[in-house]
Amino acid sequence: MRLLLVEDDPAQLDPLHLVLSEVGHVVDAVTDAETAQWLIEQKDYDLLILDWMLPKISGVSLCHQYRSAGKTAPVLMLTAKDTTIDKVTALDAGADDYLVKPVDVVELLARVRALGRRSPQWIGDTLSIANLHLHLTTLKVERQQTQVQLSGRESQLLEYFLRRPYQVLTREQIELALWEWGTEPESNAVASQVRRLRQRLQAVEASDWIETIYGVGYRLSPPPQSA
Amino acid sequence: MFHRSRRNLARWFTWSMGSILVSFASAVYCIEVQDQLTSFDQALLDKIQVMAASVEYRYHRGNWELNLEHVPLLGSNSLPLDSNLVYARWYNERGQLVQFVGAFPSEQLEEQPTFQTIRLSEESSELLRQVTFPVTHHQILIGYLQVAISLSPVQEAIAQMRLFLSVGVPVALGAITLTGWYLGGRAMYPIRNAYDHLQRFTANASHELRSPLSAILSNAQVGLILPMGDGQIQRDRLSQIVKTAKEMSQLVDQLLFLSRSTEYLSPEVLKQFDFGVWLENLAVDYAPKLEAQQLQLQTQFPLIPVLICADPDLLRQAIVNLLDNACKYTPAGGQVCLRLSTSVRFATLEIADNGIGIPPGDLPHIFERFYRVDSARNPETGGFGLGLSIVDQIVKVHRGQIRVSSTVNRGTTFTLEFPLL
Repeated sequence: MRLLLVEDDPAQLDPLHLVLSEVGHVVDAVTDAETAQWLIEQKDYDLLILDWMLPKISGVSLCHQYRSAGKTAPVLMLTAKDTTIDKVTALDAGADDYLVKPVDVVELLARVRALGRRSPQWIGDTLSIANLHLHLTTLKVERQQTQVQLSGRESQLLEYFLRRPYQVLTREQIELALWEWGTEPESNAVASQVRRLRQRLQAVEASDWIETIYGVGYRLSPPPQSA
Repeated sequence: MFHRSRRNLARWFTWSMGSILVSFASAVYCIEVQDQLTSFDQALLDKIQVMAASVEYRYHRGNWELNLEHVPLLGSNSLPLDSNLVYARWYNERGQLVQFVGAFPSEQLEEQPTFQTIRLSEESSELLRQVTFPVTHHQILIGYLQVAISLSPVQEAIAQMRLFLSVGVPVALGAITLTGWYLGGRAMYPIRNAYDHLQRFTANASHELRSPLSAILSNAQVGLILPMGDGQIQRDRLSQIVKTAKEMSQLVDQLLFLSRSTEYLSPEVLKQFDFGVWLENLAVDYAPKLEAQQLQLQTQFPLIPVLICADPDLLRQAIVNLLDNACKYTPAGGQVCLRLSTSVRFATLEIADNGIGIPPGDLPHIFERFYRVDSARNPETGGFGLGLSIVDQIVKVHRGQIRVSSTVNRGTTFTLEFPLL
């Protein structure tokens, strides 16, 4: 999923950013609400994780603005405030869930998975095409009882393809979807990522499922006989 | 919670004060009744003694003769003694009725106490006080004089008093209840203030402690969850944990300092010293830190000794806190001034900088715990918002005063006053 993570304290932001990327999400991590506001306008996210106490604009008012703009993606609030009134305030502002600091990373990941299931993008913990299955929680690809483990980045790419099967996807589209805001992918980054994914897919004899459309981009199309 | 306590206080106050009032009123009532009766009986006794004195008993022609003619009321040629005598009777020495005036009595005198309260008739509420008085002549009993007087004046006086008490005591009880309620409110007010203050403080403290805890926990967990990859990343994560833990311990120290009851300083930590000399030493120690920030330190100390009595460690902490703030909020090339002056009773220390200043809206709140001027809240400079409340507390414990004046972009001046010896 594509996540926006807003937390003003880098000491808390970095580990969460790292672990969320590692489990296969694309995370835009920012430390101030203004940048977050701008990003929300620019992009569509599957999930927002907001800290309550931000300088200038609080996470709650950010959430409120997001909902007022008619956006429906789930919002998870992180905060050190733990009274009932605080929880009610956050939920009434449009948050879907609520975690009190100190945040347990294992629980956070579970809640992110749970909220992801509620996202309009969600089609199950397993994405499939023909007899190829990608298990999103374990990042494993399965075909004919053979399994292979993918890295976070590889599974993001495969997930992106699986959600748009048979579509030609341009290099820019893939870049925009998979690279976090503020990072500048190298010119051949997409190509090398696709190459790595194909190597992984050799183990399940599906490396040729991702076609290269020269001058345009790539397309995921399983060969007819495997369907 | 406070309402319940206030109610309880008012209730206890009413109970205790009310009991005291009621017992006092009852005691006064009893004494008054006793008093009235005693004086009444005394008057009655006087009257009957006058009557007894007018009984004539003479030896006449070999016989003792009794003459009741001159006895007031009983006798025919007597002067009326008192109008409120209800009846008078004379019994001979064997207790047989001889002569009477008023209500019809029994023939034979029964054995009865000297003073007796009797009802005039079964249905009337009027009481009579009757006295039975043996009359003697040279130690020889010659008969009994029995007289009764209406008790109504005493009854009326007592009834009036009862009325006054039965109205006055409930009114006083009501007043006591209201007073108790009011006093309870007065007593609760500072407690409630302290409680609210503590609530706010606790909420803030827990918030401030949870953030670094969260950072430590998530860094450590991420280190455990993720495969051992780049050694540098792992080292960065560990150093992040160390840094956060240090910040946290600093915060815990500050919180402990603030929560300790420092109402007064124990005499063993108080020392007398020359404030000027002491400040010069402090300035020398602190100078490198200012130089590192490219700030100039200016000092102005009087030549005469300025003797104060203080806990040097606490005072040092307060002044260093203020200097740290001056460092944080003054851009490079700025100036920090330490000026000490004396008046008749106070040593006045000014710590001034020409830094970014404090917005006027924030000025009244800067000594509050956990208050941070929002623009100052950034990771590079952000403290916990406890530094100035610690300074405030230290100054107050030394019976001193602290004032602040500030102009945005012009600088801030803190003025501390300590009583001279």
